[in-house]
Amino acid sequence: MTHSFFGGVYPATRKGNTRRKPLTRLPQTPKEIVIPLIMCADGPSTPMVRPGDAVTVGQPIARRGKTGAAAHASVSGRVAAIEDRPHPWGGLSSAIVIHNDDRNELYQGRMVPLDPKQLTVELMAQRVEAAGIVGMGGGVFPAWEKLIRSAGQVDTLIVNAAECEPYVTADYRLLLERGEQIIRVSQVLARCLGCEHVVLVTEGDKLSAVEAVERRLRRLHGGRVQIMAVRTRYPLGAEKQIIQTVTGREVPPGGSPLDVKCIVFNIATVYAMHDALFQGRPLTHRAVTVTGGAVTRPRNLWVPIGTPLRHLLEACGGLREDADRTLTGGPMMGVALQSLDAPVTKDTNSLVCLTDWEHKPDTPIGVCIRCGKCVASCPMHLAPTFIRRSLEEGDLKRLAQYHLEDCNSCGCCSFICPAQIPLVELVAQARSLVRREEAGK
Amino acid sequence: MSVVVKKRLSPQLRQPSTTRAMMVDMLVSLTPALGMAVFFFGARALTLTAVSVLSCMFFEALYRLLTRQTITVGDLSACVTGLLLALSLPASAPYWVPVMGAAFAIIVVKQFYGGLGKNFMNPALAGRMLAGTLPVLMTTWTLPLHRMSPTAADAVSAATPMSYLHEGALPPQTLDLLFLGQRGGCMGEVSSFMLLLGLGYLLLRRVISFRVPGAYLGTVAAVALFTAPKGVSPLVWAACQLMGGGLLLGAVFFATDPVTSPVTPRGQIMFGVGCGLLTMLLRSSSSYPEGVGWAILTMNCMVWLLDRMGLPRRFGVSNFTTTRAALSQIRASLSEIKFVPPKWELLHRAFGQGKAPGEAYLDQLRTLVKTLGPLAAVLLVTCGIIFTVHRYTDLDTARAEVRDQQAVLAQAMPQATVGAETPYHAAGALSIMAGYDQEGQLLGYCVAVQSQGFGGPVTMTVGVDLNGAVTGVAVTSHSETDRVGTAALTPEVLLRYVGRSGTIRTSGSNSVDTVSGATATSKAITAGVNRALNIVANLDTEEKVNYEDSQ
Repeated sequence: MTHSFFGGVYPATRKGNTRRKPLTRLPQTPKEIVIPLIMCADGPSTPMVRPGDAVTVGQPIARRGKTGAAAHASVSGRVAAIEDRPHPWGGLSSAIVIHNDDRNELYQGRMVPLDPKQLTVELMAQRVEAAGIVGMGGGVFPAWEKLIRSAGQVDTLIVNAAECEPYVTADYRLLLERGEQIIRVSQVLARCLGCEHVVLVTEGDKLSAVEAVERRLRRLHGGRVQIMAVRTRYPLGAEKQIIQTVTGREVPPGGSPLDVKCIVFNIATVYAMHDALFQGRPLTHRAVTVTGGAVTRPRNLWVPIGTPLRHLLEACGGLREDADRTLTGGPMMGVALQSLDAPVTKDTNSLVCLTDWEHKPDTPIGVCIRCGKCVASCPMHLAPTFIRRSLEEGDLKRLAQYHLEDCNSCGCCSFICPAQIPLVELVAQARSLVRREEAGK
Repeated sequence: MSVVVKKRLSPQLRQPSTTRAMMVDMLVSLTPALGMAVFFFGARALTLTAVSVLSCMFFEALYRLLTRQTITVGDLSACVTGLLLALSLPASAPYWVPVMGAAFAIIVVKQFYGGLGKNFMNPALAGRMLAGTLPVLMTTWTLPLHRMSPTAADAVSAATPMSYLHEGALPPQTLDLLFLGQRGGCMGEVSSFMLLLGLGYLLLRRVISFRVPGAYLGTVAAVALFTAPKGVSPLVWAACQLMGGGLLLGAVFFATDPVTSPVTPRGQIMFGVGCGLLTMLLRSSSSYPEGVGWAILTMNCMVWLLDRMGLPRRFGVSNFTTTRAALSQIRASLSEIKFVPPKWELLHRAFGQGKAPGEAYLDQLRTLVKTLGPLAAVLLVTCGIIFTVHRYTDLDTARAEVRDQQAVLAQAMPQATVGAETPYHAAGALSIMAGYDQEGQLLGYCVAVQSQGFGGPVTMTVGVDLNGAVTGVAVTSHSETDRVGTAALTPEVLLRYVGRSGTIRTSGSNSVDTVSGATATSKAITAGVNRALNIVANLDTEEKVNYEDSQ
């Protein structure tokens, strides 16, 4: 393939800790499961249970009101409370707390598996909504809306298994172990959406998964589905960059992938769709990588959504060293955790505990020497150092000309800056400043 | 084991390099070139470098101390400046040269603009070009392998390959010697091989990108291929242009200085191309053989423009759309420009009402002064400048005239030392000059006359002393035939008139023989001398009298 995106950086991948560890279930499900009501980009869901109610695995406990997505109990037990609990995105959020009875009873009113041959987009979207599937790569955008809007409008379906974040291997294991299901659901998706191509994109450091998928494609007569291995470069997994890499098209400013006839799903989302459509299972579990130099036994886990992160860490033998940074979602774009009591949400793909020797110590912020590395590495064609200078000068008029709204906060500029200037933060600050200025007018 | 929660904003990982590490990499990449300099030019190269580096660090610390800022010697940028400055000097430079260069580079070029990252010109290069204005430094290049001790600078000077290339000839060295560096030149620039090693190291360590040096070297090579003189293989010519001067040192270490090169990738390429074009222009059509330094300094001043022009295209908007939008914006701003005819109400304004008589008029006068005052001031200053410049340049013209006059006087009246224009007029005389000796005694008059020769008028100045005898003849302009007519204009022939008085004939008594083959010219000179004698004999110094030509 001849396309590629501009810029990007090459952080050390450090996936060796967990890449050979298969997805395993937790040896013991936690005593308490916390399912936050905010697990969707557009807002909180409406709870359907009251404290004291008995719930079983897969039972809907929250539904989509005006906003939000459906949520399901991931263990069986009793609802203890609906109260404010720490959320991995930061702060507190209203959550349904379930006490586990360790019996794992299945919900009786399960959804029936659908026939792939008679599936339509409407049917699919309905089932995806009922299963509470949102974008599991970090976007948490409602998947059903994407499906409905894209029907007949797109020619390329991209399954994003790039996983460009260092350390994280959950998607890689998913592609390696559940490749067959992913290929099957991709074929059905492509037929329903009217796509000509389905491209599974992964990075060049995951060649064993590529090989496994190719073998399965030969066996299943993949048809429109193809796998594409791209040279490892961050941020390949960002939506606009992966579209540019696969098709060479650039999403116009303020536009969506639909404008360039593409639809992108994270591989975990696609696998959840497989479960919902062909197994009748709602989204209750997901793959999480627990890794980092501070973790005693790093591994990939298949965990119930709502498991407190502390429990994951205990399942991996706890910490062997002091963790300097603990974060979810990978070290590049991930959020630093404020509390380990926060649960696994639908978009949590990793728990990374970094020791102080793993990342560069905090050196003081220096002066910009205009090396231009931030400009050369910005995949969104921005000029962060000029934005920084204009922000320092308070030149709002010039700031407005730098297309600040294009920034996707990938952090390449901060990563590459030899003077440790927090450029992503400055760009975000400038963006809010300009937005406020425009609102004031 | 506990979990420490620290607030650091994403990304949590950072690339391991720092500004200081980049500077260390620069130092490392310059080490091969320094080693080669020591090999070629002896221990003096090392001591000169040490002096330069130490003085750069000293001036940096001194300035920061005096201005009560934090000491920034630790970031090693002054160290790099010092090393670069030393490597761009000839090995025979006296020790005070790098000290002066360092003071200028660090204090004026770097710190006055706010220190690291704020200067707009490369400090080391600016210091080097200041030192280069010293005439000795520009011309004395040390012979390689003639090693010098730290104390003695007994340079055996050698021409750089650039001076041959400047003349359109190939240097005497073979290409492999040029590549290894056995040639005259600055300490650091001689060995292309070592500089390329440094370039490779910097690229591998990602301290610099290949955009600037690639565009620079590529442009120079391309231009050289097309401008090779006749009889020289274009490839050899291009190789000599690449390796002969300070191009590699400039392209790899001076042009890539992050502070003074553009930030944007497109801007960096334009910067490199501009440097290359300017270098070739200066090399071919300036009076100096080398142009790298001035080319880079010039382009350093253009960086702000290149940065603006080189901004990356907006993601998702094609180049075509961007260009079209820019063009339509330019058209819109052009259409905004309207011609507004000036109003001359200043002079025709009606007097204000309800004011004392005459006050409105005073107001008007005041406005007039306010409006025209600055204009008049600007005019005055401009006139003053122009007048001064004119005067000084005119002085040069006057001096040239005096010199010519002296030359004529020396020929026409060798005894006189001072010539002075006289106010006398006489028919047939173009000008009459009085000649005085050192004591101020009047010796005689020099008369400029014209007579008709063979090919046109012959203008001459004839010196006549107070006794009416010829002291000398100087022909100032003529249009006689070369080697035929001019036979009568040689100093020996002209000397024959000296001492004559009265009316000189072409034959008989008191005659000067005509030169055979140049009769017409000889006659013209005789006629001119006669006329001059006549004029002086009848010169009335009391009164303006016109005399008829005797002939």
